[in-house]
Amino acid sequence: MAEELEIEIGPTGQVVVRTIGIKGSKCIDAAEFIARIVGREESRVLTSEYHETDLHVERHQNIHRRH
Amino acid sequence: MSTVMVIAPLVIANWSVISAAVVGAVGVLGFATVNEGVTASRRVKETNRAEIELDESEILEGSGGSGEEIVVEKDDVRAIFSRDARGALKVCVEGHGRSKAELRQIGEELIGRVTQQYVYHRVVTELANRNMAIVNEEVSEDRTVKIRVRNW
Repeated sequence: MAEELEIEIGPTGQVVVRTIGIKGSKCIDAAEFIARIVGREESRVLTSEYHETDLHVERHQNIHRRH
Repeated sequence: MSTVMVIAPLVIANWSVISAAVVGAVGVLGFATVNEGVTASRRVKETNRAEIELDESEILEGSGGSGEEIVVEKDDVRAIFSRDARGALKVCVEGHGRSKAELRQIGEELIGRVTQQYVYHRVVTELANRNMAIVNEEVSEDRTVKIRVRNW
């Protein structure tokens, strides 16, 4: 999956940055890079994609241990 | 890992950058710049007035001093962008036969569009400086600009 940033600039200048396919702490770095250009970070959330990926890894590890 | 970050804009620029943002932004709302501000002010009679300041802004004082302003007009509404005493961006909106609430709404829309234009220019310039490729750009109905960037 390509590493992308989606940047939405609203009618009042507020910006929403979404990272797509960027793994590890690099995705925070990417969003913070835009924040430094634009102004002040108001909030950040990890997307459901992040949590789904974590669950997948955890289950895989449990199965591996049983063998 | 993915994240969503919301960022509030800070406008910190000299007057020439702000001027470019104003000129680029107001046309979309049907306003046009007026070269002769004094003449324009005489045409608008018995006006109501609303002033809006952009709190999160700082206009750096340039060689032109504090007298810099841009006047834009649309029909019976005139808006004057300037730097206030604290150095913030201010727009004063005047209009014959318009309520103060109506003028305030127009002023907020104008200053929002100028902020958006400023932020857009900042982001696109910085992306270009870092050789990041804009793979898609679109404007939605509510005038939100959506940019997709690769090569991060």
